[in-house]
Amino acid sequence: MRFPLSCHVKLQWRWSEVFLLAALVGAATAAFAQAQPAAVRLPRAANGKPNLQGIWQVNARAAYDLEDHASRLGMPAGRSVVEGDVIPYQPWAAAKKIENFKNRASADPVGKCYFPGVPRIMYMEHPFQIFQTGEHVAILFEWSHVYRLIYTNGKPPLHDGIESWMGDSRGHWEGDTLVVEVKGQNDKTWFDMAGNFHSGEMKVVERYTMQSADAMQYEATIEDSKVFTKPWKIRVPLRRQTGLDRILEYQCQAEKEEANGEFEREPKTWYPDAGSEVVVPAFTGTQEPDVAPAKTGTNLRRMADGKPNITGYYQPDAGGANYGLERHEKVFLTPASRGLVIDPKDGLLPYQPWARQERIEREKPYRGYDDPTAHCFPAGVPRGFYAPAPYQILQTPGYVVFLFERMAWRIVPLNRRTHLRDNVRLWQGDSIGHWEGDVLVVETTNLNGKTWLNEVGDVVSHAARVVERFYPVDANQVIYRATVSDPVVYTRPWTIEIPLNREPEELLEVACHEDNGDLQHLKDVRDEYRAQQKKAQ
Amino acid sequence: MNIRKAAGVFGIAAMMAASAFAHHSFTAEYDQNKPVKLNGKVTDMKWSNPHGWIYVDVETNGKIQNWALETAGVNALVRRGWKKTDLPPGTVVIVDGWQARNGSPTANIATITFQDGRKLFAGTSNEAAPSK
Repeated sequence: MRFPLSCHVKLQWRWSEVFLLAALVGAATAAFAQAQPAAVRLPRAANGKPNLQGIWQVNARAAYDLEDHASRLGMPAGRSVVEGDVIPYQPWAAAKKIENFKNRASADPVGKCYFPGVPRIMYMEHPFQIFQTGEHVAILFEWSHVYRLIYTNGKPPLHDGIESWMGDSRGHWEGDTLVVEVKGQNDKTWFDMAGNFHSGEMKVVERYTMQSADAMQYEATIEDSKVFTKPWKIRVPLRRQTGLDRILEYQCQAEKEEANGEFEREPKTWYPDAGSEVVVPAFTGTQEPDVAPAKTGTNLRRMADGKPNITGYYQPDAGGANYGLERHEKVFLTPASRGLVIDPKDGLLPYQPWARQERIEREKPYRGYDDPTAHCFPAGVPRGFYAPAPYQILQTPGYVVFLFERMAWRIVPLNRRTHLRDNVRLWQGDSIGHWEGDVLVVETTNLNGKTWLNEVGDVVSHAARVVERFYPVDANQVIYRATVSDPVVYTRPWTIEIPLNREPEELLEVACHEDNGDLQHLKDVRDEYRAQQKKAQ
Repeated sequence: MNIRKAAGVFGIAAMMAASAFAHHSFTAEYDQNKPVKLNGKVTDMKWSNPHGWIYVDVETNGKIQNWALETAGVNALVRRGWKKTDLPPGTVVIVDGWQARNGSPTANIATITFQDGRKLFAGTSNEAAPSK
């Protein structure tokens, strides 16, 4: 093809060339339009990448069945999201899929509240919230506090060869598309409620492409030569949930155990049932905490906006706090603790008499079953910070996010001023935060009162208001304080202090309740005690 | 990662309170009055969180019983340098621990001792010490 160099050169194009050019231009335009309409302006992060931050949810029926399906009881009909409509199973696998479908009521892993795996979590009918930094994309799901921490820093996993439910995710940007490779998922998850499945060899490559400020295309390519005849692809639209200002909680296993009586209400601490009166008394002792501020460091890491940078992976230096917040010696398998209480000065929790009695009772073996973390439920506030297990702190414009290795998260908005309505109660509460100079202050209310403060049963109720303060000391340490004001349980507010140490580590996964043999042992101990009590009567 | 290296980190791991990884009361689950010393062959290892499980065939009075031995979770073991292949089936081990209150062949263990005397720290909450 000759190109005109100036207006004096006569165009000498043949018709065939004109057609070819037209076809090329047409194809290029179509390809561009598919990726992103020309006129659309995407929200962008500081590094120029599309800013995926926000609340999203699938707009498809893929969660029920990836393929074309008619409606069934509890399953609305839907069209296939699979490219080419049909999943290319090997013959044995096609037979297994049919078997799975027949047994789906009891065999679906998500029906048992097991982590859904990737890609299934992405198109379940619960919203999720994305947080994006220069080095991570974190996706926090309303469903059972599951999260994915996708590293976009180009580094390989620190610990290789570990199998998990949600796999290890590493991402990078290809133009305006976030591409994520997910490896190391176990063979226990399904793709949907219809029994579509994979093996432990599966590799998933996801592509997240924003099409407008409120629309994103999610694509996942599945490679698994053990189960399929070739790689295959799904594509679903994600919609920004413009009507939502936050995601809430759906703690699958807890809902189930409460419904079937395996996890029982504690009337004195849980938020009252709908229709019951909520009575919160006043403190009988000191109303205000009596504690001087901790010191922040002078040589801190800082964010672009000048606020301290406390991003990172942390381990609490909390000793045996998960076995009692007050100072105690080692007893059998219960580790000692130096005591974390800095106010009151005697280091003792200012219990009301009934609550001290309850604490003593909870430490007895027959009550071990009642600790919510034995059921793998969230640790709550402030327990998540001394559980003992590591956590990751992320900072994005407007938010601080805590990701706890024991699969739970907390989102702290920095620009919100009011809490949820009083009747909305959550395992992790409702947190709002702000910076006071170099100190991050987080206030949490709306707790459900179902959590224990540790394994021996230090008591906290729905009435608790928790104020946490994060004092950055240097690049590798933050002093953490939590002041708990709970007039149902205590006579006055109290405060604990824990150094949090930053380490060059990465979070792994804790999937807790599959085959939870410990819980069965604890239940046996409780049931035996109850049987004896009954006999004695 | 070999056993020797894992054994080497024993001291450090034992001092690190944060390496404790219990999610429920071991004191409630296991019986202080039922200490056990088991000598047997590894049959399997469940590489799970928040606790791992090692299964060991133990011969008592001519009868073989498979014991479930509770260890720290995989994440804690991995960070101490363990690998899934460190305890292949057939490995002969001696373990000390406490039996579960419900009387099942289940025990909480801290350290695994190999035939040549090497030790592997597998402990859960009982090794956690106050750091101050």
